[in-house]
Amino acid sequence: MAYPQDQLLSLTSRRDVLRGLGVLTAGSLLAACGVPTGSDKPAALGSSAAPSAGADVRGQVTLWMRDDDLLKVFRTVVPAFNARYPNVKVDLKGVDINSKLPPALISGAGLPDGSFWEDDQIGQHGEHLYDLTALMAKYRDDTIQFKLDVLTQGGRLVGVPWDTDPGLLYYNDAVLSGAGVDPASLTDYDALLDAARAIKAKNPKARPIPLEQDDTLGMMWYTMFLNQQQGHGLVDPSGNLTLDGEASRRALTWIKTVVDEGLGARQKFASTAQITMLDEQIISLVPWAIWFIFIPQSGLKKTTGQWRVANLPAWTQGGARSGLMGGSSFVIPAKAKNPELAWLFYEFAVYDPEGYRKVFSKNSVYPTGLNTVVPSVKSALDPAKPLVERLPQLGGVDNWAISTKAALDIPAGYTAPTWYGQAAKYLGANLQRLMDGKMSVDEVISRSTADIKKNLIDRN
Amino acid sequence: MSLLANRAAPRQVAALSKRRGRRGPRTGWRGPLLVAPFFVFFAAFGAYPLYYALQLSFIDWHGGATYRWVGLSNYTYLLTNPDFWGALGNSAIIWLLIVPAQTIGAIVAAGALSRAKLRFKRLLRTAVIIPYVTPLAAMAQAFVLIFDRDYGVVNHLLGMAGLPSVEWLTSTGWSKVTIALLVLWKSSGFALIIMLAAIQGIPGEVYEAAALDGAGPVRTFWSVTVPLMRHAIAFFVVISTLGISQMFLEPYVLTGGGPYNSSTTTGLYLFQHIGASDLGTGAANTFLLVIMVLGLSLAAVRVFRESK
Repeated sequence: MAYPQDQLLSLTSRRDVLRGLGVLTAGSLLAACGVPTGSDKPAALGSSAAPSAGADVRGQVTLWMRDDDLLKVFRTVVPAFNARYPNVKVDLKGVDINSKLPPALISGAGLPDGSFWEDDQIGQHGEHLYDLTALMAKYRDDTIQFKLDVLTQGGRLVGVPWDTDPGLLYYNDAVLSGAGVDPASLTDYDALLDAARAIKAKNPKARPIPLEQDDTLGMMWYTMFLNQQQGHGLVDPSGNLTLDGEASRRALTWIKTVVDEGLGARQKFASTAQITMLDEQIISLVPWAIWFIFIPQSGLKKTTGQWRVANLPAWTQGGARSGLMGGSSFVIPAKAKNPELAWLFYEFAVYDPEGYRKVFSKNSVYPTGLNTVVPSVKSALDPAKPLVERLPQLGGVDNWAISTKAALDIPAGYTAPTWYGQAAKYLGANLQRLMDGKMSVDEVISRSTADIKKNLIDRN
Repeated sequence: MSLLANRAAPRQVAALSKRRGRRGPRTGWRGPLLVAPFFVFFAAFGAYPLYYALQLSFIDWHGGATYRWVGLSNYTYLLTNPDFWGALGNSAIIWLLIVPAQTIGAIVAAGALSRAKLRFKRLLRTAVIIPYVTPLAAMAQAFVLIFDRDYGVVNHLLGMAGLPSVEWLTSTGWSKVTIALLVLWKSSGFALIIMLAAIQGIPGEVYEAAALDGAGPVRTFWSVTVPLMRHAIAFFVVISTLGISQMFLEPYVLTGGGPYNSSTTTGLYLFQHIGASDLGTGAANTFLLVIMVLGLSLAAVRVFRESK
């Protein structure tokens, strides 16, 4: 007597089973022959695609955030968003975006409906993202121009501009007054050098200006100097490299002077060693991105309260006293399941006063407000209506007014080439050689230009 | 009747066995069915990705809609690129700093730990394995502090001894040494476990025979213990080579591959291509590494086999 499973199995012969396996394997291989399967150019997410507001809107939206304080901040926005859209469930997830989002975009698997992302990462993945040009049309005039420039790829606006990170000058007021330097005199980079010399003359151990030891951050610092002088960064609007231009030579020569005169402190940003140098008054003049503010705010003990903030010096008489150093936005993957809901959330958090006040004003995460960045929305950058409070660690100066002025003054015209991040291996490394006194300005320019052309431009 | 029946029996058996020989037992297809899931999974997650990656290595593709067949261009780009050879050279130097010292050290330590009279043997065995179970990223961060040029405890101790400071993480030569020190600290316990297991597998009679022949402890160690451990040594050298060829996290956290790419290992270099969505070059890089590491591993195995 045959058992039931024998009867079941007898319906198929061994040959059939093997044939089935063969078909499966061949199918896999045939599928492989088709790879890589590129997607069609994604459709634009038009204004008609956005659902009407209110309780009619339903669904769940999954949004990725960088897994740090920002995630906690944006979670405080969700209740206000839900007050307006009660039937939308927002799932904010903390993710290592730079490692998880690119493969998800390429494969289309496990994609969120929207994601936070650094501006310099977005460009090379633009074709996997929704074109938000139509939806953003009504907000363009209220958005800082350089953010629109950064996020525009081939005429397509591929991100919702979120934060702006202008450069500012942080300085130790006690050190400057001890050296007889008037902070008001720090209006150009030559004056900054003179101040550093005066500080070193007073304290030979001082190395007042930090010289970044990380390839990528060092390159961002140099790019800020370029943007400050010429609007565009490593490439001009035609896509030509600007390394051999006047602005580049001026910035590199200034860095070389800092090195040659022993005025620079070689450490990595926010490393324990750098924080010690800041607290021991070895470093006292820091032209850096706005987000340096978190160090005097929470990382210093001995010199807390001695630090102040001002706008950057200018490179030339009457030149811009601001430049960009970083920034991030929100993107919506072209294969997202609920792109309309993602747009609604980002629109609320970025452009709605109720939304951006939730993000930037004081909250449980930032008791004095989110002051490491400023919004990209012009109407939010009103010096008379600060979103953040003044800090005793910065002597009570009006850091909001200084930051917002810097954000509005960032020269327009900046574009990040798709290979920007990879350039750190060449330009970033050569800048390190310059800061170590092992390469001249001309060598940095010629070798970086050749390497970037050969390895990045010609291969992209 | 019974006689006839008995005579017919061998013919029936022969016919039956012939039929089974030709077609097999009736339930023979169940075996392949039962192992089929393995082959399906292997095809999906083993063979297919490999085939996919091989195809990618001949394509210029950055993950978007456009791609083009470039033949061997990705391979020739890498093979003529100083950065590729630089990363390979960095990995080779790190290998030289780690593997010989770690292998010899582990053999000697295993020999000492296997001695019956050694005190605190259990405590020592536990102590050496602790680094292996400590998270690498956390320890790498600790190394950044310990080896800091200005405020690190190592340079502080060197200063107390009247020696000059060393740029452990920020000079082209010492950065590789610091990475090697981290790996030595982290994985020497694992090396010890392998060698200890090999030593404990050597029969006691061999040592008795050596003692009868008048061999002392040192002679016994080098002439008996070490030769009988050669399979374990070969295994360890091969997996160390594989590990160093794929090394990523150590340079990523300690030095970021710097200064000036001087500590960029082959694993970190590969990551840079993948991280930049240069998937074709990344795939070609992977296969070049596979070929090189396979060649080195086979050479190592052959050397140890011939030493028999």
